[in-house]
Amino acid sequence: MDRDQGGVAIERVAAPPPAAPRRRVDSGRLARVALLIPTLLITTICFVVPLGLIALYSFGSVNQVDFNVFFGWTTGNYRAFTSSLYVHTLARSLVLSVSTTLACAVIGFTFAYFISRQSPKAQRLLLVAVIVPFWTSFIVRTYSWVDLLQNLGPVDRLARALGLDGHIDILYTPWSIGIGILYSYLPLMILPIYVSLERIDPALFDAAEDLGATPWRQFRRVVLPMAVPGLIAGIIIVGVPALGEYVIPEILGGGKTLMAGNILADQFLQTGNYPFGSALAVSIMVVLMVLLFTLRRAQPAADAQ
Amino acid sequence: MKTREPLSVDPLTRATLLRRAGAGALGVSAASLLAACGSSGSSGSSGGSTSEAIKGQAILANYPGWMGKHNLADFAKKYPGASIKMISNATSSTAEVVLQFKSKQYDFLLSDTSDAGQASAADLITELDWSKVPNVKNVSEKFRKAYPWGLPTDYGKVGIAYRPDLVGGATITSWHDLWELIPKYSGQTVFIDLERDCMGSTCKYLGFSSNTTSPDDLKKVQDAIVGVKPHLKAFLNTDVGAGLVNGSTAMAMDWDYDVALLQQKNDKIKWVLPDEGVHAYLEGFTAVKDTSKIAVIQAFLNFLAEPPQYADFVNTTGTAYLMPPSTPLIHKSISQNPILVPTDAVLAKTEFDKYLGADGATLWSNTWTAIKAA
Repeated sequence: MDRDQGGVAIERVAAPPPAAPRRRVDSGRLARVALLIPTLLITTICFVVPLGLIALYSFGSVNQVDFNVFFGWTTGNYRAFTSSLYVHTLARSLVLSVSTTLACAVIGFTFAYFISRQSPKAQRLLLVAVIVPFWTSFIVRTYSWVDLLQNLGPVDRLARALGLDGHIDILYTPWSIGIGILYSYLPLMILPIYVSLERIDPALFDAAEDLGATPWRQFRRVVLPMAVPGLIAGIIIVGVPALGEYVIPEILGGGKTLMAGNILADQFLQTGNYPFGSALAVSIMVVLMVLLFTLRRAQPAADAQ
Repeated sequence: MKTREPLSVDPLTRATLLRRAGAGALGVSAASLLAACGSSGSSGSSGGSTSEAIKGQAILANYPGWMGKHNLADFAKKYPGASIKMISNATSSTAEVVLQFKSKQYDFLLSDTSDAGQASAADLITELDWSKVPNVKNVSEKFRKAYPWGLPTDYGKVGIAYRPDLVGGATITSWHDLWELIPKYSGQTVFIDLERDCMGSTCKYLGFSSNTTSPDDLKKVQDAIVGVKPHLKAFLNTDVGAGLVNGSTAMAMDWDYDVALLQQKNDKIKWVLPDEGVHAYLEGFTAVKDTSKIAVIQAFLNFLAEPPQYADFVNTTGTAYLMPPSTPLIHKSISQNPILVPTDAVLAKTEFDKYLGADGATLWSNTWTAIKAA
């Protein structure tokens, strides 16, 4: 068979060498791989290795005198996390972050929709107004709420001027934490929703109107479905950091409302129990990953619409 | 350390406080300080060290601004070739301080009794040659005994500050009185947001040592705080008593130096050294193990313990002081302030932080977390 086809084989060998295109293909592939190297390095060094170290530490133990960490591969840190104390704290964090994320979504959607319906010039101005708070330090913005919300502060005085008896007593409660999270993360919700809404072709509204759709029906059947990808992106961007939020509860919670982020930070900054802190971090990451995968599964359906 | 370290959570806030405590609120002029520093206290001693033997730069981890205005410059002038580089490293965490002792980045550190005690247990400190620090004799005996690892520099008691006009004219003399009034004036009391200070003071309320490691005692402490927690305005670690000034807070568990400052803003604020006794922090400078700058450190600590230099330290920081020979050089707003003067009667009621051991520290930490999460 080889002999029968030898001429052909020889002819193939003698033909313009396919090696040249193969070399081009190989060099192209190599170039692509080479281009990936910086990204891979950054991802590995900045994300994979730290996460791996956290996972590694979570199975270790610490000498509480000199803070040397030992790797005896114990699962004790994860078992400690199952105590009601930590479960309740995580549940409290979930409730607070979910409720503030939902509030962000409602307010953010309303504001983004309002912006998207304005003239291009007005849109630019309103978007700048949304972004401007980011020019100020996050800590300063959060501390400003202490002055605003404290009894005898501006909000309290306004409430009393409007006829409220007594004081508002909002500062250092879960409400003030919620307000702080809402205020800090609202721009992160508005922007992705705005991007989704801004891309809606105005002709769609005309078409819907021609077909007899009422404004409410247009909103429900045209606007809302097309905004879902931005809404999901906003929920992820807001919900993930809100669950691990540490600074806002620290400043606006008055030390009375402990959240998962505070316990986690205390393990690293106060008690020096890195293994337990790592186990907490891994556990919170797992919770977040479950939530994110759930949202990711919802995204294709939304995109299809 | 740093029971009042919370103030350094925001270094600017702390720096502002220190400025206020020093040249501002306490009215210490640079001229008077220079004059004080220029005078030679009778209790001062060179410690037998020669300036020739003391060379190099020692690195100190310290609160921002937690030093006399002229201490470092005067030291460099007295010991040419020697200097102190102060690095602001504010932390309220014993773990962080112990890790700083391990890091070898510093030659000596400001650390409180808990931190230094733990660093000593971990074999991370260098014992001073006290013959090179003869001025340590200026430190009151009680403080020297409580802080044997280095030169004690300052301390702070945790007592009660309140506004009688906001609690119906009631007189508070004890922790018991405070606990009684908290529910009655719900939402108007602030506790300190640090486990050693808050739980330590509650230990005093219950009649325990503020260094107890008994699980039963700590369970009672937990119950006592959780019992009044719904009525507390907040646990704060900075600006603890600030609300007393404008009246948004009626009562506070607070540090002595903080109350001394607040009283300058509102003279209705009263300070109480509770009948049951008080818990206190005590801080000082301690040398790191195997530091190569031990000669410079010892010379500096001896220099700092000279009355004029220590007076500069106190006048700048506004801290409660612990070297009586410096009294004539300390500004009267401090030296004649009953809140800050270390009289025998006050010290008899005071219990300083101690290192609790690994198990004890873990038990305190877990109890505190349970209190905060409740």
